[in-house]
Amino acid sequence: MKSRDIPGLMVNPFTRIAGLQAFAVGLVFILLMGIIGTYSRVSFDGALDMHIGNQQSLLHSFSLLAIDLVCIVSIMWVTGLIISKGFRFVDILGTMTLAKAPLIILAVAGYFTKSPDLTAVLNDPAVLYHSTSFILVTILSVPVSIWSIVLMYHALKISCDVKGNKLAFAFIIAVLVSEIISKILILKLV
Amino acid sequence: MLPTYCPSCHAQLKVKCLKCESCQTEVSGSYDLPVLALLSSEDQQFILRFVINSGSLKEMASELKLSYPTVRNMLNEIIHKIDRNEK
Repeated sequence: MKSRDIPGLMVNPFTRIAGLQAFAVGLVFILLMGIIGTYSRVSFDGALDMHIGNQQSLLHSFSLLAIDLVCIVSIMWVTGLIISKGFRFVDILGTMTLAKAPLIILAVAGYFTKSPDLTAVLNDPAVLYHSTSFILVTILSVPVSIWSIVLMYHALKISCDVKGNKLAFAFIIAVLVSEIISKILILKLV
Repeated sequence: MLPTYCPSCHAQLKVKCLKCESCQTEVSGSYDLPVLALLSSEDQQFILRFVINSGSLKEMASELKLSYPTVRNMLNEIIHKIDRNEK
């Protein structure tokens, strides 16, 4: 791999890695996210969501991540069935799992964040603006989430061999549906 | 690389003349180029490697250091080009 290839691979590693190999690497990241997130109080409570400051057990942290992953993979798989003629489930599974890898940055960043007390926030939401580390992590969450979404977009594109408006439209719908379903499942199951 | 399109108007070229190097006989006419000859040299190379690898996309992916779906997408792209050329 040449150094000039690295920026391209950061946003689309799926030209090189997909299927079970991507799934294995993605699972390692998710495992680390679950463990680090538990201790840094970062919960990934939605297909695209993350929140800081929630006390949680390892089981709770992994349950959230499992729901997120199942929702994204299954919705993207259904999307693939609709928009593509032939693709492998294992490619969707692997690439979508790996697409969540950048979120580990937020799990780590949570360690350095002093989140305001929930009761204080409820009484006066302006308290949030007094925590510099909280604001910094919130700002950091924007590019990291975008990075993860870009990876998911390329994951669907490479796995299903679809391009153009059809891909963009299907992807936006799929992401929104995944987010809604994951939120409902988290509310009902966790 | 065999030229396949007219450098002036970009229309598809035809074979006008073939020559035997042994007896110098020339056969003239207007023959279509083979479908594979109309593809780019990269695409022809891909097809060659695909045949050498017994049509195994997994082996192709491993040889090209690319993922399986990427190689499958490259093959799909070549199939589209062949379909277009045949029409």
